[in-house]
Formats: sequence, structure tokens, C-alpha cells
Amino acid sequence: MNQADVSKLMSQLRIAVRPTKRNLKNPDGPEGRLLKLRKTVTALVKHERIELYYNRADEARGYAELLISNAIRHGDRHKATMELADYWLLEKQLVHKLFKVLVPRYENSNVSYTRMFKAPRDYPGMYYRKSVLELRGNPYPVLTPDNSQNRNLLHNVLLDEARKEFRREKLANLANKLAAETENATASTTATPAQAPVTETQTEQSKQAEEAPKA
Amino acid sequence: MAAATKLLKKSLVGISQIQQYRNIAKSAISASNGHRNELFNQERRRQQDAVGRLEKIEVRYLGLPEDVTLVMNNNISTPFNCAQHLSEGHCKRSALALIDGSVPWDMHRPLQESCTLQLLNFNVSDPHLVNKAFWRTCSFMLGAALQRVFKQEANLQLHSFPGPNIKSGSFVHDIVLGVQNWEPTKAEMRAISAEMVKLAAQDLCIERLEVDLDLATEMFKDLRYKSEQIPSIAQQHQNRVTLYRLGDHIDISRGPMVASTRFLGKCTVLAAHKLANEGASDAFYRVQGVALPAGFALNHFAYGLLEQRAQKLNPARLPNEPFEEQRQMQLS
Amino acid sequence: MNINVRILTKSVAQQYAFKRIVTFSTKPTQQAAAAAVPQQQEVTGPTVRKPIVPAHYRFVYPEFLPDPKVEWRNAVREKLERLDMIDRRRQIELPEFYVGSILAVTSSDPHAAGKTSRFVGICIHRERCGLRARFILRNVIDHQGIEVVYELYDPTIQKVEVLRLEKRLDDSLFYLRDALPEFSTFDENMEAEPLEEGAPVPINDIKVVLRPRPWLERWERQNLLGVANIEQYIKDKHRKSAEKVQKPWEKYDLMKQYRATIPEEEQKEIFAEVHTELHTLELQRKRNKRKRTFVKPKHLA
Repeated sequence: MNQADVSKLMSQLRIAVRPTKRNLKNPDGPEGRLLKLRKTVTALVKHERIELYYNRADEARGYAELLISNAIRHGDRHKATMELADYWLLEKQLVHKLFKVLVPRYENSNVSYTRMFKAPRDYPGMYYRKSVLELRGNPYPVLTPDNSQNRNLLHNVLLDEARKEFRREKLANLANKLAAETENATASTTATPAQAPVTETQTEQSKQAEEAPKA
Repeated sequence: MAAATKLLKKSLVGISQIQQYRNIAKSAISASNGHRNELFNQERRRQQDAVGRLEKIEVRYLGLPEDVTLVMNNNISTPFNCAQHLSEGHCKRSALALIDGSVPWDMHRPLQESCTLQLLNFNVSDPHLVNKAFWRTCSFMLGAALQRVFKQEANLQLHSFPGPNIKSGSFVHDIVLGVQNWEPTKAEMRAISAEMVKLAAQDLCIERLEVDLDLATEMFKDLRYKSEQIPSIAQQHQNRVTLYRLGDHIDISRGPMVASTRFLGKCTVLAAHKLANEGASDAFYRVQGVALPAGFALNHFAYGLLEQRAQKLNPARLPNEPFEEQRQMQLS
Repeated sequence: MNINVRILTKSVAQQYAFKRIVTFSTKPTQQAAAAAVPQQQEVTGPTVRKPIVPAHYRFVYPEFLPDPKVEWRNAVREKLERLDMIDRRRQIELPEFYVGSILAVTSSDPHAAGKTSRFVGICIHRERCGLRARFILRNVIDHQGIEVVYELYDPTIQKVEVLRLEKRLDDSLFYLRDALPEFSTFDENMEAEPLEEGAPVPINDIKVVLRPRPWLERWERQNLLGVANIEQYIKDKHRKSAEKVQKPWEKYDLMKQYRATIPEEEQKEIFAEVHTELHTLELQRKRNKRKRTFVKPKHLA
């Protein structure tokens, strides 16, 4: 039962965080691990979509998310955050990108800043799982097929037809109702023709009123 | 404890009894069905033997991952064999093949000449042809499911199913039952739906076979309505009749159909409308349902709307009307 | 109209108030009922605006934050523990204190004369969270260093007084064990030194002087700020080995920090839950203090 560290305050990540880190085997120990991940984070910020092994992508993802969330939280006037950005981004023009491009992009976002997909691996080839890591809002075409847009897909055809039929029925109902009303009106009184011009003038007035603000 | 085992035993006995009854009841149907299947197998073997000398054809495959030319065997290789050369994913996903950019072709139908080949699935940009084949397959599977579900006493006879029309909102199979006042309950409909799902889970290959008129009449001589339809169908197609087989269920259809029952995802059989009386004790019924291909996720509310719509009587051509397909074809 | 509705909801809430079931009780039922009343104000629902939790709460009440280790998290257990902690805080005043503050703890002791013992000392360490939160007090009595470990929510503790509220330069002061005794010697009859209200907690930047080696720990490796004369006792080999074990990259290891902290959103949720209770207790304490200061001169006269 350890006490939580209260000296630092961090925003909650919107991704699933593993309880422990992966060591990402390398001869230089924990420092080497960070040096390795630095390259990945730099590449992610630079290219916005990268394909790499799953484990490394999953580890780098957390660092990239926290880097962006810290940048959003503290801004570019905060010395510690600047130091962090300086450490994590190997190419220094990317520090500008972080604060001037990514921070405005994600300021009001309420989902994670990155997305990760499982990618197919070559067969035969290295047996490690592969993945695609990308920043949200990147300029590339989306990776997941969007089934809702293609109107020719079976479910969309069915739904469109159902919608049309529903409208048809509604219109038919309305027409029936109107017909019934006019029948009733003609049967009961002869006042309807007198009322009709009044409504017309009203609609004209309202039309004029609508046009006035436009002019 | 003892009581529980007793109960269990009782229920077990009950189940086995039911199965026995079922077997007895089915035996009569299965006799004619078995004969039909035997003829089907013989004819298929005969057609395969008749190929004779192997001739090579060049099949130009267009699509992902890259366009390739495959050298295949004439009258033996199917689009599925071509997909096997490409990848497992192609085999699993492709529902229908497109020959020369325009002719839909069953995945398990041998190719007959050099051609270009495209493999279609349900997610292609214009899935019109696949959807149609899927809808037809659903009707066909519904026939198989009905055949499995109904007992001998019900006197079920499959009549036909009209051409697939997705815009009508439901797939249809017309049947004749030995009851004139059947009001299907929800549980009954659910049982038929469950049978459809079972068929889908079995992943049965849908086989296609073209036979000539004489063999077709021989195969369907026990089935009154089918043997009535066969001559007019054969007349339109140069005395040939196209048969499809799913498990041991054989039916007449123009095709094409999707490669396997596996492609059926969400499926509900919703209504059986009585159309007309037939003879003294029988009646026509139209069984309707709605289905989505496997892998299509639709929320239950939207699917509920589709189900509601599928319950209304489908306006397709009625089975007891005169056979007007010829005129329809002329019109179109 | 609006008031009526409020009163109505309140009365309804009182009827259906959530009564916690306790298997054993350490307090009279009347008090429990009185204590249950402020909770109902929360129940009245969306009309009550959510209290704004002061930012310093995580320093004052660090034990309310759960263990960041994911495998040990349990939302229900944590919530129940928080309820128990507040229950305990209603019984006894547990003041704000930090590592480096000087405390006097009075606790029940069956072997002591008068069945209570009072120990004055400097808090050298705080650890653990929830009901298990504890701290270590250190003092030198009769030339003998004494350390006592107290659990903050131990029911045998009768009184916790803060005699001098201050912080030191380091997070834990274990090095006092190797320092000269005068740095951890405090008078048992020390008077409380009250701070001005609203003033920030002062940081005592005193640098302690260590004894010569051997030490209990290798202090040269720990980057201590509050020690004056480490350089005096270490040789080159110590310096080299100390350099070897440094981890300068850890300040960049964001995920390590994330896994050691509770995220801000979660902290807000936790403190929003206990804030009203803690705040009322604080106010009560202040009122009591004022009363006491008023009474004292009368007694002297």
C-alpha cells in the first residue's frame, strides 16, 4: 500500500494503460528503452502515421499521449514541459509542431490523441505482431472502412427503402386526413372560400417579413 | 441429488424419444430426397468425367493485392480455386465472382474460357450483384430451413421463390402447407430463424449443377409443384435446368448464389402470410424474413425497423398466378 | 414554490436516507444520527452546486488518494475506506502535517501510568494510503534515539497535536538517524507554535550534520538536500558508485510518473466526494480553537 505521488499532477489518459511497462529488450537497460521510444515518438509526431511492431507502438503510444496532454496542460511557457518536449522530440522543428499544431488540434478533444490498429504481418517473416500508430486528425485517408457512407451496401439499401416507405405512408395519411377535412368543411359550412384569401394575405405578409431582414 | 438425476434421465429419455419419432417421420421424405441427391451426385460425376483432355485457360485476376494472370484448367477450375492461389483471406471473404466485368459467376462454378476475374465481397463499392445473390441465397436457405423444421404431418411442399428484390424489404419463399388456417406464433418463427442460423453456422458449401430437362423431371417427379414448373423453365434456357444444392436440399434456381451459407449473419424469419387456398385441404403461404451478411453490425433499433417492415406482405409475384416470367423478361 | 420543492425533497431524502450498517460501533447513536445529517445535503441532488475542491487538498490529505498500483485498486473498497476515514475524523482531530513537522501524539497504552502515553517527535516519514496510512515520529530521549510508528487511523490514538507545522527539503528524513542527536532532539514540553491563518506552510531549510561513517544507508546516493556535510565523509570510490546508480532519465519517463500518480480527473472525483465533510470538520476545528484561546486567560486569572 504505497502512497500516490502528489508532487506531480497529470491528466487522465483516454487509452488503456497496462499496469506494468514492457522492457523492450535492449542492452542499455531502462535508459536505452527510453532512447528507443524517443525515436518512435519523434517519428509519430513527424509522420502522423507509422507502422511498426505492436509492443513498441503500444509503449510509445502512452508517451506520445502524455507529451501532448502535458503540452496542452502547461503550454509553451512552462519550462519543465519544454524540457520534456526537447528530450522526446529529436528533431527540434517538431517542438514547434507540438505546441503550434498539435496543441490547437487536440485542445478541445475528449477522445485519445492517437489511434492504434492491428496490422497484418508478412508470412513467412518475423513473427512479431505489427500495428499502425497514428495521430488523430492526420491528413491521410482513413484506415477503417466506413460502412455508413456507401448507400449501396445491403443494410443501407434496406434502411433507405424503409425510410421511403415510412414517408410514403405518412404522406398518404396526411392526404387522407386533408381530404376528409375538406369533405367535412364543404358539407358543413360555405365559409371556407371566404377564409381562404385571408390566409393567403397572411402568408404574403409573412413572406415579406422574411425577406426584409435579408435585404 | 437422486431426484435431480431422475429428472435428468427422464428428460434424456424424452429427447431420445422425440428424436426417434423425428427419424421415423423424416425417413419417408429422405427416401425421395436421397434419390434426388444420388442423381445429383451421378450427374456431377458424369459432367466431371466428360471434361476429358485438360485444356489450359488464362484467367486475368483484377484487384488487390495486384493484378495477376493465372493459368487454370478449363471446365474444372473455379473462381474459388483462383482465390486459393491468392490468399486465405480471398477464399474466406469472396462471396461472388465477376467474369469479364459483367457476368456474375458462382464461386464454385467451373470456368469455361479465358476471362478476366474479379472477386466480390459485401463491402465493395458497388455491391449490387452480391446483394442480389445474397438475397437469393437467403430465399434458398429459407427453403432448406423450412424443409428441416416441419414434420411429415405438416405436408410441406416448397413451391418456389420469386426473384430477389431487396427493395421490397424481405426475402421470400412460397410454400404449400397441409393446413388452411395456420397462424404462426412467434416461437414458431423463432424456430425457423434458429434453423437458418444453424445452417449458417454449419458453413455449407452451395453447389451448382446444370442438368437437362429429362433428368430434372426424373429428380423432381415426387414434387408436384416443381415438376409443373420445370418444363417452362427449361423452355427458356435451351432445355437446361439449373439446380442448387445445400447439404441435402436441392432446389431449382437461376442463380447465382453466394459461395457458402457462412455469409449469412443476422437473420430473422418474421412472417408467414396465407395467400390462397389450394385444393381441399392445402393452402399457399408466403414465408418472409430479413437478413444481413455476416460482419455487418447494425444496432438493434435500426434492425428492429427492418424487421417491422419485413412483416408486411411482400408484393412479389404470387405463386398461384400464371407463370409470367417470360412476359417479364420481354418487358425488361 | 422552489423552496417548497426543496423542503419536500429534503424530507423525502431524510425518510429514505441511506443508513450504513456497521457491525460494531465506537460512537454513541445520537452522534451517529447527527453525523448523518450533513450527508443528506448531498443527496438533495442537482440543485446543489458541486463544491470547488481546493488544489492543496492532495498535499493535506494524501491518504485519501488510493494506491496507484492498478492490481490493488478496488473502487468499492476505496470508497468504504474513505467513509471510515471520515467517520474516524469526526471522532478525533487529525490535523494537517507534513514530513518535518513536530507532532505530539497521545495514545492509549495499557502499560503506562494513567493508561496514556504522549510522545513528541519530528515526523520523518509518511507512507501507505487509506485506513493504513501511517507516519514515523523520531525524538532523542535520554541520549537514546526513539522512533514510534503510528497509524493515523488507529483507534488507540487519542490526540494528535501539531506543535510546529513546517516542511523540510526532503520527502523523508531517515537521515536523521545518522545525524548528530541535537538535530532530532525536541523538548517534550514544547509549546505549540501556531501559524497565522492562511499563511503558507514554511519550509525549514536547515541542513543537518551527519555523524562519521558507518551509516545505516548510503546517503550519498540519494541526492539529499537537507544534509550539510556528506562530502566530508565520502571518498572517490563512493562518489563513483553513486554516479553509477543515478537515473537522470527518470524525470523524462512520463509513463513511470503516470503509473505512480492518480490522474487529476480521478483526484477531483475523490475529493469532490469527501470535500464537504472535510470542510465542515475544518471549520468546526477552527471554531473550537478560537473558543479555547478565549477561555485560557480566564483560567490564568
